[in-house]
Amino acid sequence: MADTLLEIKNLKINYETDDGIVEAVNDVSLRLEVGKTLGLVGETGAGKTTLARSLMRLIPSPPGKIKSGEVLYGGKDILKLNEHEIRQIRGKDISMIFQDPMTSLNPVLTVGEQIEEVIQSHNPQMKKEELHESAGDMLEMVGIPRDRAGEFPHQFSGGMKQRVIIAIALACNPKLLIADEPTTALDVTIQAQVLDMINELKNKLHTSMLLITHDLGVVAQNCDRVAIIYAGEIVEEGDLHQVFKKTAHPYTIGLLGSIPSLSEEVERLNPVNGMMPDPTNLPKGCKFSPRCQYATERCKTEQPEIRDIGNGHLVRCFMKEKGNE
Amino acid sequence: MSDLVRVENLKKYFATPHGILHAVDDVTFSIERGKTLGVVGESGCGKSTLGRTILKLHEPTSGKIFFEDKEITELNGKQMKPFRQEMQIIFQDPFASLNPRMTVYETIEESLLIQNLVSRKDKKAIDKKVREYMDLVGIAARLINSYPHELDGGRRQRVGIARALALNPKFIVCDEPVSALDVSIRAQVLNLMQDLQAQFGFTYLFITHDLSVVKHISDEIIVMYLGKIVEKAPAKRLFANPVHPYTKALLSAIPVPDPDFKANRIILQGELTSPIDPEPGCRFAKRCQFACDKCRGADIPLKEVEDGHQAACILA
Amino acid sequence: MSLAAQKRSLWAETWRRFRKNKLAVVGMCIIIALFVIAITTIVIDLVTDKAFYNDHVIKQNLRLRLQGPSKDHIFGLDEFGRDIFLRMLWAVRYSLFMGVFAILFSVIIGSIFGAIAGYYGKVTDNVIMRFMDILLAIPSMLLATAIVAALGTSLVNVLIAIAISYVPTFARTVRASVLTVKDQEYIEAAKALGASDFRIIFKYILPNSMAPLIVQATLGVAGAILSIAGLSFLGLGIQPPTPEWGSMLSSARSYIRDGWHLTVIPGLGIMITILALNVMGDGLRDALDPRLKN
Repeated sequence: MADTLLEIKNLKINYETDDGIVEAVNDVSLRLEVGKTLGLVGETGAGKTTLARSLMRLIPSPPGKIKSGEVLYGGKDILKLNEHEIRQIRGKDISMIFQDPMTSLNPVLTVGEQIEEVIQSHNPQMKKEELHESAGDMLEMVGIPRDRAGEFPHQFSGGMKQRVIIAIALACNPKLLIADEPTTALDVTIQAQVLDMINELKNKLHTSMLLITHDLGVVAQNCDRVAIIYAGEIVEEGDLHQVFKKTAHPYTIGLLGSIPSLSEEVERLNPVNGMMPDPTNLPKGCKFSPRCQYATERCKTEQPEIRDIGNGHLVRCFMKEKGNE
Repeated sequence: MSDLVRVENLKKYFATPHGILHAVDDVTFSIERGKTLGVVGESGCGKSTLGRTILKLHEPTSGKIFFEDKEITELNGKQMKPFRQEMQIIFQDPFASLNPRMTVYETIEESLLIQNLVSRKDKKAIDKKVREYMDLVGIAARLINSYPHELDGGRRQRVGIARALALNPKFIVCDEPVSALDVSIRAQVLNLMQDLQAQFGFTYLFITHDLSVVKHISDEIIVMYLGKIVEKAPAKRLFANPVHPYTKALLSAIPVPDPDFKANRIILQGELTSPIDPEPGCRFAKRCQFACDKCRGADIPLKEVEDGHQAACILA
Repeated sequence: MSLAAQKRSLWAETWRRFRKNKLAVVGMCIIIALFVIAITTIVIDLVTDKAFYNDHVIKQNLRLRLQGPSKDHIFGLDEFGRDIFLRMLWAVRYSLFMGVFAILFSVIIGSIFGAIAGYYGKVTDNVIMRFMDILLAIPSMLLATAIVAALGTSLVNVLIAIAISYVPTFARTVRASVLTVKDQEYIEAAKALGASDFRIIFKYILPNSMAPLIVQATLGVAGAILSIAGLSFLGLGIQPPTPEWGSMLSSARSYIRDGWHLTVIPGLGIMITILALNVMGDGLRDALDPRLKN
């Protein structure tokens, strides 16, 4: 087993709003290994973005509140660091790519300046020429000619902007890259270009990655391990083969059944029934039980624990308890 | 002839400050009654404009549109009204396509009233019809007085479908109807649309950028690139035997949800540009690894490569 | 994130957010109180056939002129010995109702022009908006003064003058929001259903363009009240002895050394009303701002 880079332990985050308390992230434990990619899959409102932001302590508070848990990075709990210490980590050790390339760049600064700014904030001693030089290097690394550094974001297309954002994220050679739906806003052919580039750079720079997406296809092609999140809880986690080939949780089965296959002829899809539960009023027992076709009385009253069903394949379902198989 | 909709040499140009944008450029096809024609392409390829132009939500620049062999190209707003009942549209964004100030009831009622399908005064008949359509698309009756902002994406999209169904149309343009929905909800809506087609014999023009969805739902598929059709084939054949280099690249770019699947990726260089004052010749030539001099200078016509399978490529 | 699936119309949602802003609620309470005062005084006039009005509001008592605030007259007496408190109350109707009516009138005219200009665009838009630009180029006070001077000083003329000067503001506001609403998909959906232009404008576009208009209108009423007071101050509005805040202020200015209350009271009246309308308008804007929707 590879070395642990970051470990989340029993993290619990609530949003306290007028409409009630939203349990956005509920008792989540995850481990990121050096140089590996972990995929985090979930639908709208599952809590995946909240989880990602908490790793950089970017949860807006209020209404967000970290109730309990630890995020261990290099032996320190990120959640306990002061503002100054956390700023040292943001951008330098952990950096983040957001979903929408159209709005995550500052429209009044040139792309070169935006890259230089990140480098300078973590290397204050660097001279202007050096900064300029390394910003150019970063652009070239993501496949943009160095002489476009003086251009403004609106002069770039969507895919190019996403490349610039990646350049900014990688500028300080972070150990962990959090990518929150990095290609959702892009076209398929551009998505393929960008994912290829991220993978190439990740291997070259030996960066770990947390890839957040709702697209199981993207996960299958780009990750080492995958965690499925539903209503703030991890319901299944394992390596690609375990999750895709020995799928154990009914929700994961439903997700895979929802995707039309390209290779086989399927007349009808087999989706998950029902809708996401109201986050202010989550069901008792297993959060997925109201939509689960296998749900029993026990599922509706008792919360299943997440357990290892072999070789690190974790599942949160009573059906996978010993003796039930 | 059993074609419900036929489009001949349809063009839709927009004047922009930078030049003439060829959104839809010389497109010809027909859709058989009760079948689904899928239109795939990336953003800016003109697929949405195509759908809206057929419904005359945009005035076509030139070309002809036939509905049940009647030409509707030149009809004005009033003359179009009876056709509006027959031809409907379902939109991509369930957040933007419903009037935020109208409840579910009012939205569906609106369809019935505009086309005078029930008497305005007959409240009972309206209520009955509205409930009937809500039931048909699977919206719980208790939501009848809900406003769009109280519903989630999947339910909103169902309301949008009910609004179109209430007119009892024959032809429905589906403009990315599931792209904005979550994976599990997306499959539910796709199933619903297929069930409705089986039940009422609808003809769909299904516009999407999602290739796995288009394969699943279509009988025939058109691949568009910068306003032009580059390939047209029955769904299975297109996936089994893509001919145009763009189609090939597009297919290879789909992330397959199977870790054992090793994609033989064709990574395209560059990005889609907008088709403003395009030069004659193949629009894809700039990004095509096989491009040669023959590709430039003159437009490449669609060529039959096998029965019912056409491609616009000199290599075909 | 979608929260709480309770049944709430967008207006109910707005009211819920508005209530949170305490200052705005205070502003709204003041405005409601002013309405109550205006209506009560009108009722008193009707019931007593203006006897109370004649005896207490406009009847002069020169013996007691310029008397300061006392137990009997909490705001004191003016230069003709009239009770300032009662005159203030009786003046509310002019400021408030005229302000509201003038704005109502310009909102209706302005929205129709704005909606047509925004919806049809091109030449129609150009003709209407250039005309509005011309109106806008003339200082509103000057325009009102000119209209009153030309048509003579009467309540109706003052009202028309102020209403006309506000039409361009509302036409612009409505046009701008129509332009954003017009491209929404639900408008296209309505077109695809075969809805007429008339139906689309009045059932789809205008209800969805209301938010900025309501805010503008609230602030507009404040402006109109100031204009009425200003015109009266210049002697072009309400004529003495009818009590009106602007004219009270105007006639009191010669006595500023003899009785401070003569100017301060009407001045405060105007200020508080305007302030109340402005904080209410701000509160409405925040409540209606879709960016704050969760």
